[in-house]
Amino acid sequence: MTLPAKAFQRWLQGIAPDASTADVCRISGIKRTTLAQQLVRGKVSVSTVVSISRAYNINPVAALADFEPYRELAGPQQPPARCELVSQISTADLLRAMLARPGMDPAGEPGDKPPALSPAPHATSVKNWVDAIDDGEVRHRVSAATGIAPQNYSAQLTANRLSAELAVATARAAGVGAASGLVATGLITEEEAGWPPDARQAALDSLSDGDLAALAGDRLQALGKVLRRQEQDQAQTEKIWENLG
Amino acid sequence: MIEIFQWSTLATCGLIAAARIPSALRGENRSLFYIFALMTAAIFLSIEAPYIAVDRALGGINLANLLLRFIIFSAIYFVGIRVTRGFGADHAYRLITGRLGMMVLLVISLVMTALFFLMDTVGSSAGLSATSGKSELNFALVEYYGAAGRAYPSYVSLVLLPAMVRAVGSRLPVLVRFAAGLLALGGIAIALTLLFPLVPPEWGALEFIVNYTAVLCFVLGLALIWAARVRNSRSPGPKRTSTEA
Repeated sequence: MTLPAKAFQRWLQGIAPDASTADVCRISGIKRTTLAQQLVRGKVSVSTVVSISRAYNINPVAALADFEPYRELAGPQQPPARCELVSQISTADLLRAMLARPGMDPAGEPGDKPPALSPAPHATSVKNWVDAIDDGEVRHRVSAATGIAPQNYSAQLTANRLSAELAVATARAAGVGAASGLVATGLITEEEAGWPPDARQAALDSLSDGDLAALAGDRLQALGKVLRRQEQDQAQTEKIWENLG
Repeated sequence: MIEIFQWSTLATCGLIAAARIPSALRGENRSLFYIFALMTAAIFLSIEAPYIAVDRALGGINLANLLLRFIIFSAIYFVGIRVTRGFGADHAYRLITGRLGMMVLLVISLVMTALFFLMDTVGSSAGLSATSGKSELNFALVEYYGAAGRAYPSYVSLVLLPAMVRAVGSRLPVLVRFAAGLLALGGIAIALTLLFPLVPPEWGALEFIVNYTAVLCFVLGLALIWAARVRNSRSPGPKRTSTEA
């Protein structure tokens, strides 16, 4: 998703009035050709704004809030719900946590304490986030509000991708904090979104053994489907190489 | 103009066939080498000068034309087998190699050969144009003979078409999907040759374009799959997953 170059120039003026484009690129680590091209086309990517704001020690969420489509990111954010926090824990971390639970093996020794959670996002964080906040109608409302075709929206989720604009629209449609989706897509960090440092761990710890087992089971089932599909694709490709390569 | 195009098609196909020689010597998919070699021979014989030379050597009764038809039949037969095997189109495979496919091939071959010997074919002439002009009977026979020669390739390519269209929309590697698209296009072009009797004589160039589009699409499509395999084996790289960001 992109922002108009004019609005971007105005914003850049506000945070770095004297810096040349070259300076901005050097400080923020953006390739000069990349930024130049975005400016020429009149479309600046959201991630450019995020990189520049980080370089100038501005919270990217606040920076994005300066732009029209992201106004709702301004001001204090609604804190993330427990299901959102848990959705941003990777499947491997969930399984490790499950192994350490007494419910896993009531007779045995308690397992080792699992290592700290790996930071969000993870390999299926976008889909898990939307599933977590979906009351059954969210996809419908997002597509009605933004005009994206439902199958395109699903395809983005399956590919673990979601444009910033759609992430914000999804949060709005589900009535959760506007920045959560940007964490799930990996555009901003949990800290930048204002999530407390141990929020995910605390949410995980508050799950009962039964809930955690069921959740881990769902994740494993989804993973199994993805892996099996990849294996089938791979087998089909091998067959083509074998016969036509 | 047409001559340049013919010779460059011949060169393309010949180069690809030559490039397959090392892998054919190693025993990898020899039939692919045969396909390219047969196609090269077919293009060679469809050009006027080589046709006349070969036909004179065969006795000057246009046996080279009959030979050309059977070269095309065998090339398309092997293409059909390899492609249906590779793309896992079992139904199409049975339609080509099963009883129906063999009946179609046998009947068409017998009819075509019979028609050939009913004609007064003395005097080498590419495309049997001289034979066609000899009498009304010969004109009609040449038309039916031509139709029989186009019937079998059309049968095979129509059998292949659904599998190719499916492959274009699949999750196979991009190059393979592109190749499947080329094969589908070639199949459509071959099927269109069935309509040649309806084409007014002054549009002769159209027939030529359709024929060569078909050959080029098939040759390039098959070569592309080979290239995709070479590329794949050179850069095994990280396995692409559908959950990748």
